[in-house]
Amino acid sequence: MNERPNIVFINTDQHSWDAISAYGNPYLHTPNIDELHRNGTSFRQSYCTDPVCAAARSSWATGLYTSETGVPFNGGHLHPDIPDIGQVLRADRYRPFHCGKWHVPGRNVRESFQTLYYGQRSIGAGGAAYYDSATTHAVADFLTNYDGDQPFYLQIGYVDPHDVCEYLHNHEEKQIPNPVEHGIVSEDDLPPLPENFDYDERETVLHRVCRRVEDALIHAPILKAVQHWDELQWRYLIWNYYRFVEKVDAEIGRVMALLRETSQHHRTLIIFTADHGEACGSHRMFQKFTLYEESVQVPFIVACLGDGIPIEKDRVDETHFISGVDVFPTICDYAGIDTPEMLQGISVRPLVEGRDVQWRDSAYIESNYWGRAIVTEHYKYVTEYKPKIVEDFLPPGPDAEQFGLAQLFDRQNDPAETENLVTDPAYSEIVKVSQDKLLAQEAKLHRQEIVHPHPKRVISNWGERLRAYWQHNR
Amino acid sequence: MKTNNRHHWSFDYNHGAQNPQFTQELIGTLRGCYTNTDTHGRQAAQTVKHVYNILPNYWRGYAGGDTKKELRIGETTVERTKNGSLWNYTVEYENTTSGEHLQMQFCCHDDNYRSLIDNWRVTVRNSGNDKYSELTSEGHLTRDSEVRLRINGTEIAGGVVDKSTKMTCNWALFDVIPALTQTVQASGSGIDIVLLEDLEQLRPKSKIGFLESIQTPMPLDGYYVYGVGLLPSYWWLDADGNIAIASTFFETLVLREKIEGST
Repeated sequence: MNERPNIVFINTDQHSWDAISAYGNPYLHTPNIDELHRNGTSFRQSYCTDPVCAAARSSWATGLYTSETGVPFNGGHLHPDIPDIGQVLRADRYRPFHCGKWHVPGRNVRESFQTLYYGQRSIGAGGAAYYDSATTHAVADFLTNYDGDQPFYLQIGYVDPHDVCEYLHNHEEKQIPNPVEHGIVSEDDLPPLPENFDYDERETVLHRVCRRVEDALIHAPILKAVQHWDELQWRYLIWNYYRFVEKVDAEIGRVMALLRETSQHHRTLIIFTADHGEACGSHRMFQKFTLYEESVQVPFIVACLGDGIPIEKDRVDETHFISGVDVFPTICDYAGIDTPEMLQGISVRPLVEGRDVQWRDSAYIESNYWGRAIVTEHYKYVTEYKPKIVEDFLPPGPDAEQFGLAQLFDRQNDPAETENLVTDPAYSEIVKVSQDKLLAQEAKLHRQEIVHPHPKRVISNWGERLRAYWQHNR
Repeated sequence: MKTNNRHHWSFDYNHGAQNPQFTQELIGTLRGCYTNTDTHGRQAAQTVKHVYNILPNYWRGYAGGDTKKELRIGETTVERTKNGSLWNYTVEYENTTSGEHLQMQFCCHDDNYRSLIDNWRVTVRNSGNDKYSELTSEGHLTRDSEVRLRINGTEIAGGVVDKSTKMTCNWALFDVIPALTQTVQASGSGIDIVLLEDLEQLRPKSKIGFLESIQTPMPLDGYYVYGVGLLPSYWWLDADGNIAIASTFFETLVLREKIEGST
């Protein structure tokens, strides 16, 4: 099409790649995302930039990695000099609208976008039960009243399936009986335990201190609660998680129906993805904050419900590595506007149009400020930076001298990431190549010192705990 | 993890940001209701109105994080009037977190399932400081059992109902559960139902089952409800057929007042 399209960016929260029925998961029903998939190109190798809400969302908003944005964890603060997608679109006469969850600390969504709905109490991390249906109402109000003269950009931030966190927090303070013994569900209703429920304990120090030790930095009370769970309780977590996914699928279906009935579907590009995944018992883990696949691999679909935008439909791209930083340049590409300098992402438009282009051969991911991963076709290499002796608040890297512990997984033969090969001499060359690739990627980043006091406090406190662990557990 | 819940786990949310207000509010609300209101004899009334306080179950953050002077975050009123062989419902739901105020009007057959009849209407107002301020959705069922919704005048499909299963609105469960107690308890594994949540979202393959009976904070029989896209919720029925507590994973409705009339 010659004219500029409408662009609708639909995002869900904590939605793992495989929690979609069209991709073969028999334990949930997502007819609407399935339809989106049939009307577009899905990317199999799609990764978030950082498996936690605010960090990943700062990448969507800016096209940068999280050590560049100032938001390397939920308590970060977006550097004020970095333009966001709303500002860039508005400067070029596109009308940017926002509806639902934003969660990019340091940037007022109401200043960068016209907000259709952002809650009476502004939407924070969770609250899908209240905010998601209202978000759909606001989108319905917008679409049924849109005059249609100018193309619009609308980003719709659904909170679910993030409310699975409420399910988990609920276990912190009270004893909830086994649902099968209570007759609420039968064992046959429950999905099986993931094949990687048992895991290789040779993990990074960062991961242990953040997620494994008794006084873990992140959600220790939940960790304490789940240690008492039996197999059925883990499986009931997964069962519940899938109901949250179904809930948000229904909301997305309403938006799709409205696009069709308001005749916007032919000229509307839909980008669908999630900020990060959900561990759901894999590696005996819950929520996100890890560099395992369940936490970092997310759906990514580019679709059009009509025939006005050339897209290869009903196709899964198995080979190209997609990152959360690609959302920004893809929007700009379809909007026909230039991207800011120093952007890390690439527009996926050529890929969805079936054109051959030069593309990256890996995905780069950060986590919890010090964690790093590089994913290639055959291997995933995970490592960490040791905390600096004197913290300067410049996100670490590239510096091989400061690498801590590491993991190497053979993605072809061990996709569930059950065996850490990093100390196996047979893989020493693979480790070296992976490190070089990671360092080369990091050399392209434009880090800035973290200056906001809140994230500085987090880095100081976490760094202290990490240093103590290194000292006492050599 | 605590090993002794103060109340039944399905509505024991005396933790997180609510501590210690949740139990006080829940018990205080129930006590006020059962002391000041005649909750008996619901079967004979032609008009029944239940008013519920909405208490937040969630962990923290969404209500500001701090202990509040008033824990209540909204109110729900379920009013139904018998009109011949039909029941006319008006439900008001106001929530100060989302900012939405929903008014839902619908009509049901006078059967145990309160089967939903054409036409229903939802009017929504948003109190938040954003572009969206109001919405109207009207719905009906086609002869082919398809839910059709007209949102601000634009009609969309809302899903197809399995003809072999009764469909009702989740807000009619305040009458469906009391009417089906024997059927549900006799069923063992629960009975099937289709719910049209808030008269908008079809929740197929839903189930109502019996949970257990409790004596604290008062004698109550518990039921669970869940389905596709519908997280388990727990409904606690008093001896006179009133739902005293309804708890989802996110909020607890506590009966504050019951008003009956003969007109």
